[in-house]
Amino acid sequence: MSVPPPDAITPESGEGPPGLYVHIPFCRSKCGYCAFTSYPCLPAPPADYLAACAQEASRIAASDWVQARQFATLFIGGGTPTIYAGEQLAGLIRELLARFAFVPDAEITVEANPNTVTREKLAQLRAAGVNRLSVGVQSFSDRLLSAIGRSHTQAEALAAIQAARAAGFENLNLDLIYGLPGQTLADLRESLTIAVDFSPEHLALYELMVEPGTPLAREVEEGRVTLPDDDAMAEMESKAQELLAGAGYQRYEIANFARPGCECRHNLNYWHNGSYVGLGAAAVSCLSGLRLKSVADPTRYAELVGKGEPPYVEAESLGLHARFRETVIMGLRLLEGVSLAELEARFGLTPRGYYGTTVERLVERGLLILNDDSMRLSEQALPVAHQVLAELV
Amino acid sequence: MVQLKNIRNFSIIAHIDHGKSTLADRLIQLCGMVTDREFQDQLLDNMEIERERGITIKSQTICLPYHAKDGQHYLLNLVDTPGHVDFSYEVSRALASCEGALLLVDAAQGVEAQTLANLYLAMEHDLEIIPVINKIDLPAADPEAIAAQITDDLGLEAEHIQKCSAKTGLGVDAILEAVVNYLPPPKGDPEAPLSALIFDAQYDSFRGTIISCRVFQGRVKAGDTILFLSNNATYRVEEVGFFRLHREPQPELAAGQVGYIIAGIKNISDTRAGDTITLKERPCATPLPGFKEAKQVVFSSIYPVSTDDYEALAAAIEKLTLNDAALTFQKDSSTALGFGFRCGFLGLLHLEVVQERLEREFDLSLILTVPSVNYHVTLNDGTNIEVDNPAYFPDPARIARIEEPFIKATIHMPERYMGGVMTLCMERRGVNTSYHYPLPGRLEFTCELPLAEVIYDFYDRLKSITQGYGSFDYEMLDYRESDLVKLDILVNGDKVDALSQLVHRSGARARGLAACERLKEEIPRQMFKIAIQAAIGGSIVARTNISALRKDVLAKCYGGDISRKRKLLEKQKAGKKRMKTVGNVEIPQSAFLAVLKSEQG
Repeated sequence: MSVPPPDAITPESGEGPPGLYVHIPFCRSKCGYCAFTSYPCLPAPPADYLAACAQEASRIAASDWVQARQFATLFIGGGTPTIYAGEQLAGLIRELLARFAFVPDAEITVEANPNTVTREKLAQLRAAGVNRLSVGVQSFSDRLLSAIGRSHTQAEALAAIQAARAAGFENLNLDLIYGLPGQTLADLRESLTIAVDFSPEHLALYELMVEPGTPLAREVEEGRVTLPDDDAMAEMESKAQELLAGAGYQRYEIANFARPGCECRHNLNYWHNGSYVGLGAAAVSCLSGLRLKSVADPTRYAELVGKGEPPYVEAESLGLHARFRETVIMGLRLLEGVSLAELEARFGLTPRGYYGTTVERLVERGLLILNDDSMRLSEQALPVAHQVLAELV
Repeated sequence: MVQLKNIRNFSIIAHIDHGKSTLADRLIQLCGMVTDREFQDQLLDNMEIERERGITIKSQTICLPYHAKDGQHYLLNLVDTPGHVDFSYEVSRALASCEGALLLVDAAQGVEAQTLANLYLAMEHDLEIIPVINKIDLPAADPEAIAAQITDDLGLEAEHIQKCSAKTGLGVDAILEAVVNYLPPPKGDPEAPLSALIFDAQYDSFRGTIISCRVFQGRVKAGDTILFLSNNATYRVEEVGFFRLHREPQPELAAGQVGYIIAGIKNISDTRAGDTITLKERPCATPLPGFKEAKQVVFSSIYPVSTDDYEALAAAIEKLTLNDAALTFQKDSSTALGFGFRCGFLGLLHLEVVQERLEREFDLSLILTVPSVNYHVTLNDGTNIEVDNPAYFPDPARIARIEEPFIKATIHMPERYMGGVMTLCMERRGVNTSYHYPLPGRLEFTCELPLAEVIYDFYDRLKSITQGYGSFDYEMLDYRESDLVKLDILVNGDKVDALSQLVHRSGARARGLAACERLKEEIPRQMFKIAIQAAIGGSIVARTNISALRKDVLAKCYGGDISRKRKLLEKQKAGKKRMKTVGNVEIPQSAFLAVLKSEQG
């Protein structure tokens, strides 16, 4: 497909430094609830895929758009990046750090699954410059883990976290899920308590989403799996927040909690609707408003990149107003909301001026809080955020 | 000029789904009107809705040239008829234009309610009948048993029975020969004063009304001044001709022929099916028999979801009535819904067709209020009024007497469903039931029912009780005294006038509860608790609550799925646009019709 080369893109005023993302679309096995692009591969993931990512990186890195910028973050996500051997991943990371200009204190994250890491592997990553590790724990209950088809156990999760600390990771995130089939409030409380005992700097607490087309969706539809109802979910959400707040974690996004100063900078850039370069199959780039998505099939991706062709299958370039609206709805996921000055600087628009009575009504209903500096969701609006966002999209 | 003896005017009559349109298409193809490449299934059902539902609503007529085995050339006028009980008057006018009919019976299903109803209609018009057993290629086909039904039960002659598969084309050529050999040619004197029967009309935005007619006596050509006997309107004829796949102009239409007249008629409501056309200069002595004004029996108000669309709705309804003379409308207003139109329909199918056409062809988002029938109310002071809108139901203290319309329902079904159907009819206040066995194992059940009890989901319930084997037909009977009350619905304490309905006192409480339950299903949870109540006069007879929405947010949203999540929100936003905000509650369109669905629905 034909897209403008990154060189031809005019920068959007007022946006911060971009992030760099690499998608590793492989896992040891596919979980029943997962709707991400990921393919089970045993015994080993294809080495030429990493080579393709590196090749695309060198092409993009040469563009004026990239050359003109310093990157603030690097995030290797998946799938399961740590399905690759330590030296393979470390090699890719070193190459990226050499090709792209990064700010001195760049945040460099790798996602890991508990049963794919060892202390040695993590030490290799640490040595390559990785300073943040995100562990997909999901739950510390073996019963619930096997119910959702996760291939790891509680013991493996505990070992992975200990290995991370031992390897010198001082910025650690744990992913947890609530609303699992058969999960009770006590189950969730237990998982959270274990998590908090490790004092991770960051916690992501996701509600289980039943994505159409997944095995879980089928099981729910056929009645083979029962999920906690809305009321139970709301209860779990509110109790989890209490527990995390009590342990010193601040909720800064709908599903993300951090110790002060430990917010994930890479993800903050998404919620600020900033620019980013995505490498790898199914990865999305957003270059000053031009959004490009790469082909999902990793084999096809490697082929295209190998031939020197752009691997994109979708492109989207929104107009100023649409970008403004998108920036508002993304920003409202953050508890601090959107900065009016930043919106004004980037788009020349203000929420009051643009949305008029729609915003007034949401404020009157107590769902939005609008002051001179910012607009944000109220406490009561957070669990039903989409009711508000659907009015502003 | 084709001689009368070489013209045949005929219809195909059948129960729904017995293959009428397929056979028509096959006849058209066989007469060489279309090449195979052009052949598109069901040529005659050209309205999108008709295609989807497989029923004909607006009839299409076609003139087929046929070279018969006797070596002669014939003109076969196939007059198509609407295929639903709502349109039985239109069917009767189409049949009045013919000398014969093909009675199509499904080789597996046999004789059904509308087979009989249509046969009786055809017999009333003295039509010659050729029974045609269709779908003989089906594995379940039993043509011999069906042939026995036709001869023994319907009393038709065995020698004329044709067997075919319209789908494969098997036996269809023999049908054309039978039409030529068994059906009589039209009679008529081309020199007599003109009398022509209007059996249909369509609106063309360039030419005005296109009248479909059958000329019985005399002749008509371009330049003539024609006179409509029902309203004394006169028009100058611009063009006459035959219906081929397109209109084909002819020098004249003479006695015995079927064709069209274009006369610069801008308003289709002046053109009424069943009316007689004659010449102003030399009128015929008497109108053709059987003319009736179209009778609306179901009424509902139509409102735009967005009040900004009122003008667009007005224009759309106006445009629709150009092509649908049976639809009536007048301005209406509702506290809950703003400005709209009160419309009259021939039946519920007609209502649904109008709704779908407005939404699809004019891209409108609509709310239809609970359908109502027309009630006759006598006030204490002796005044008689008609009420077809619950909003105008008088204060009960002023009412001396109320009458509601009754119908006679005819239901055909296998015997085993009788218990369930009987119960359904009793629940719906049916009286004077009777039944007989037209065939062993098959039951013809008749029952007198209030029309109001039939209009919404009676047919759906019947189909589910009889597992699809029951068929239904009805005719209007009379008005009978009844004890009615107005059932109001309150949403968070506010009365929603558009949800009010008139119901029989005996079932009012149950209906109120059913309405509350249906609304509970239809109205999505919102950020606050919603109370739904049903009330008669000032007293609450039923209530239910919709608990507050507690969760509506996607857990994850990162760089890879910003676009997809935005599109989900846009979809949610579009859904909100299709809801009507009453007080502070968002009510979806579907809720307004759903309240009438029955408790078992």
